[in-house]
Amino acid sequence: MSLQEIVIQQLFNGLLLGSFYGLVALGYSMVYGIIKLLNFAHADIYMVGGFCSLTILTFFGNTFIGNRWLGIVISMLITMIIVGLLGVIIERVAYKPLRNAPRLSLLITALGVSMILYNSVMVITSGEYRAYKTGLGYEGFSIGSVFVTHTQAILIVAAVALMFVLHLFITRTMYGKAMRAISMDLDCCRLMGVNVNKIIALTFFVGSMLAASAGMMAGVYYGSLHFFMGFVIGIKAFTSAVIGGIGVIPGAMLGGLLLGLLESFGTQIPFIGSEWKDVFSFSILILILIFKPTGLLGKKESERM
Amino acid sequence: MKDKQTCLQTAVDKKAKKVNNPFVELIDRFYVLFDNKKVRYSVLAAALAVLLYLPMRTSMYFMEVMTNVWFHVVVCLGLNIIVGFAGLLSLGYAAFFAVGAYTTGILILHYGVSFWLTLPVSVLMAIIAGLAIGGPTLKLRSDYLAIVTLGFGEITRLAARNLDITGRATGLVGIERPTLFGMAMVKINHFYYAFLVLAVLAIFISYRLQDSRLGRAWKCIREDEDAAEAMGINVVAARLLAFIIGSVFGALAGSFMAIKMTAISPESFLFTQSVMILLAVVLGGMGKIPGVVLGALAVVVFPEVFRGIGKYRMLIFGAVLLVLMIYRPQGLWPERHT
Amino acid sequence: MAKRLWILALVVVLIASGVFGCSKPAPPSGGGDQQPESSEAPQFDGEILVGIMVPVTGSEATYGQDMENAIRIAADEINAAGGVLGKELKFTLGDDGCDPQMCTAAASKLVSSEVVAVLGGYCSGATIPALKIYGDAKVPFVILAANSTQLIDENPGWAFMINSPGYHQADAAADCFEKLNVSKLALVHQGDGFSENLAELTREEWQGRGHEVVAYDVVNKGEQDFSSLVTKIRSSGAEGVYWTAYHADGAQLIKQLRQGGYTGEIVVADGSSSIQLLEIAGAAGEGVYCTSPPVVEFLPAAQQFISAYNKKYNQQPGPYAGLSYDGTYLLADAIERAGSTDPDAIRDALAATDNFKTLSGTIKFTPENVLEESNFIIIKGEGGKWVLVE
Repeated sequence: MSLQEIVIQQLFNGLLLGSFYGLVALGYSMVYGIIKLLNFAHADIYMVGGFCSLTILTFFGNTFIGNRWLGIVISMLITMIIVGLLGVIIERVAYKPLRNAPRLSLLITALGVSMILYNSVMVITSGEYRAYKTGLGYEGFSIGSVFVTHTQAILIVAAVALMFVLHLFITRTMYGKAMRAISMDLDCCRLMGVNVNKIIALTFFVGSMLAASAGMMAGVYYGSLHFFMGFVIGIKAFTSAVIGGIGVIPGAMLGGLLLGLLESFGTQIPFIGSEWKDVFSFSILILILIFKPTGLLGKKESERM
Repeated sequence: MKDKQTCLQTAVDKKAKKVNNPFVELIDRFYVLFDNKKVRYSVLAAALAVLLYLPMRTSMYFMEVMTNVWFHVVVCLGLNIIVGFAGLLSLGYAAFFAVGAYTTGILILHYGVSFWLTLPVSVLMAIIAGLAIGGPTLKLRSDYLAIVTLGFGEITRLAARNLDITGRATGLVGIERPTLFGMAMVKINHFYYAFLVLAVLAIFISYRLQDSRLGRAWKCIREDEDAAEAMGINVVAARLLAFIIGSVFGALAGSFMAIKMTAISPESFLFTQSVMILLAVVLGGMGKIPGVVLGALAVVVFPEVFRGIGKYRMLIFGAVLLVLMIYRPQGLWPERHT
Repeated sequence: MAKRLWILALVVVLIASGVFGCSKPAPPSGGGDQQPESSEAPQFDGEILVGIMVPVTGSEATYGQDMENAIRIAADEINAAGGVLGKELKFTLGDDGCDPQMCTAAASKLVSSEVVAVLGGYCSGATIPALKIYGDAKVPFVILAANSTQLIDENPGWAFMINSPGYHQADAAADCFEKLNVSKLALVHQGDGFSENLAELTREEWQGRGHEVVAYDVVNKGEQDFSSLVTKIRSSGAEGVYWTAYHADGAQLIKQLRQGGYTGEIVVADGSSSIQLLEIAGAAGEGVYCTSPPVVEFLPAAQQFISAYNKKYNQQPGPYAGLSYDGTYLLADAIERAGSTDPDAIRDALAATDNFKTLSGTIKFTPENVLEESNFIIIKGEGGKWVLVE
């Protein structure tokens, strides 16, 4: 492969990885923006999304033979609704009673939810990997020796479309406006007659939906699921959200793409190699935060209002 | 804004008071009793006597678990200085005891230094690590600080995994155990006593720190940074000191861990380890020393006691944690605000 | 208050069963406390307590459970035939969780329940700390699966490894690649002690034979996306890839290598010999070679064991079931030869083992308590199954 081809291929790899990070990071960022919680359970929602969609896909198995993409799209929609509701229930049960508690207690609660989620999946699957069979092949197109499968291309388009829809939702609708307002001042919104509980629930619904869709895409693309699969991507997505400026929606997308690119090019750097890849990404994160303490797109604000 | 929040908080507190059941109130009354110095010292003396006597009576397994408890007491108290006293959220505490463990391991294994001489080096390295992590991050908001400490934790672990001097992924194996007054430290009882001494020291130092000028400065910064600065407290220095002291606690515990295990590998310093320690601190009650000790005891003993239920163990742990936090968000043994 | 509790209970139930309950019924639990089903129980003169130290929780729980199952089958057979020294073989489990810290707790637990000997050891990293504990307590330890060369250096003399050590495997892998006419090799490990050790040994072996290692890379545990690594391997011009770690990530790597247009040879190491590798990798798994421990499927002598395992646990034995079964017989034989449960006598009897016949071959130890002859076999993925390569 020529240098140019390597660069293009790695660029593509980075974009694909980055769009996964971005989708998960959005959930972190939205929840943080609205109730200032680092939702550790979010990564597990991603994992549950993967398993849930596999269950649905197997359940309807016979109906969708021959219509692979139709089956995938339908089970994706069902998964998003179910897992979105799961997100709402989690908020209602675990986070709402603690809305006025110290913030660290809320963090520990999130850890508890995360433990419950991944351990229940571990018990159900007896800790084994599950193959995610979709019958999609490796057909694709190549430009020079740069190779792209159809699945990869469709996933990138889908991820970008989801992000775009979310962006419209946040900027153009009444609910989006309410979310933005709550992230500025929750108590004030309540006084102004915004149904705060409803909007927070909605935020969890949307965030969980996106994570679930990412989880399903991961299943389709990588072809296997595991109860611990959310862990690494959770840390990476959280990092992405912070790089972009946590609480800022476009920031999460940007951070995700940037981290994806950093990682794929980090692998290729001569003499450093893949073993230093994560060191490289985390160092860049720290550098960004030192020089721009609120992340790339974060607005300057002091801790206190 | 501030006033409104306090007002809301008090309202919530009042509501919470009403629903408290008699059992919880009884426990709280016991806590209050324990805060009385005379009662505290007599209870502590009795407990210490029992703990010193324990190794004569119990099994090796029990000793192993208790040693692990003392180890966690030390690291949790160390993290408590950063999170509980100074109010800085840290998600990479495992890096600090990795520093201690690796310093000791490398010095003993590659340079044949006596274990006791590695301790001051370990402390020195911990101070450097505390400065390296604390220094650039002091201006960050608390949540950004969390991710930066997480990043530092991961970088430390990955560097240990990739460098030849730290034995790469295999880690350091065959670290020689030291002798103390001519007696070789080989049995679990020896380590039980060693970690017990460390834990008692850590508790003592934590109490002294809490009541010191520095401790009060931390508390002030935690409650209101601007006010603290206006009062003439050097916020930057106080925060750096929190990181340094916390990291020294961790490094010393790590050094002792290295000789107890005789083998250390990067897998012992995962992010999950940092989270477990943070969990112990918050579960017990941040900033409250007996609470933190209780939290350390809980995170070690709970999984051991429920070993019988096998794979459901961590599931139940998570559920208990959730219920506890919903009904008692301030921790098992919280700090009293007067 | 009551309402909140109700919701909580509801959610726990929902999570546990509702959302994804039907993905696959969980296999029946290990059957740890099942009694041997014999019509007339032999009379025993006391019992011999043996410790089992395997991971039954955590990421490697599947393997540990499988090893425990195999040990229990062997024990049932031994007990049905009159036990050891006329005594009944009994077990107590210590879960090492594949974690060094849990391993020391498990080892101490076994030592304090005064076991005569210990069987087990799956993860090398979580076996090393146990060596010292068993050595200090004078407990003979038969290591069934763990085979890092570190174990040899750290052995105080009480442990016996019945799986071939890493250098045997590196040798087998190099032979395999030479047969496949590969000269430029890429090595990929997972950043843990075992797989890095094997990658390093293979690198030395391969370079020692005058060939070239063009890429030496690591995949972090839990990562899903290897596409940038695949691009790197492709751009390095490697003709063969040797994956030295475990099956789940191995399957991902194979899949993504093929997806990314890599056309060279792929060989995986013993940690990947599970059939799940081929299940997850699907079509990409065709033609993948594996340097495998003696898996019972390919051993003519093991058919009876396989059917017994199937009958008792309703599933196929895993990659280390054979070795676990063999190890149990080896230990029983050694205790029998020692004539007592005296630890020194058992250790000497183990060390003196001379061509003891097992399912996977004969066992004879070197002075370092390591197998004299390599027991590695080469298998290949064909039609979604592993087949033996002659």
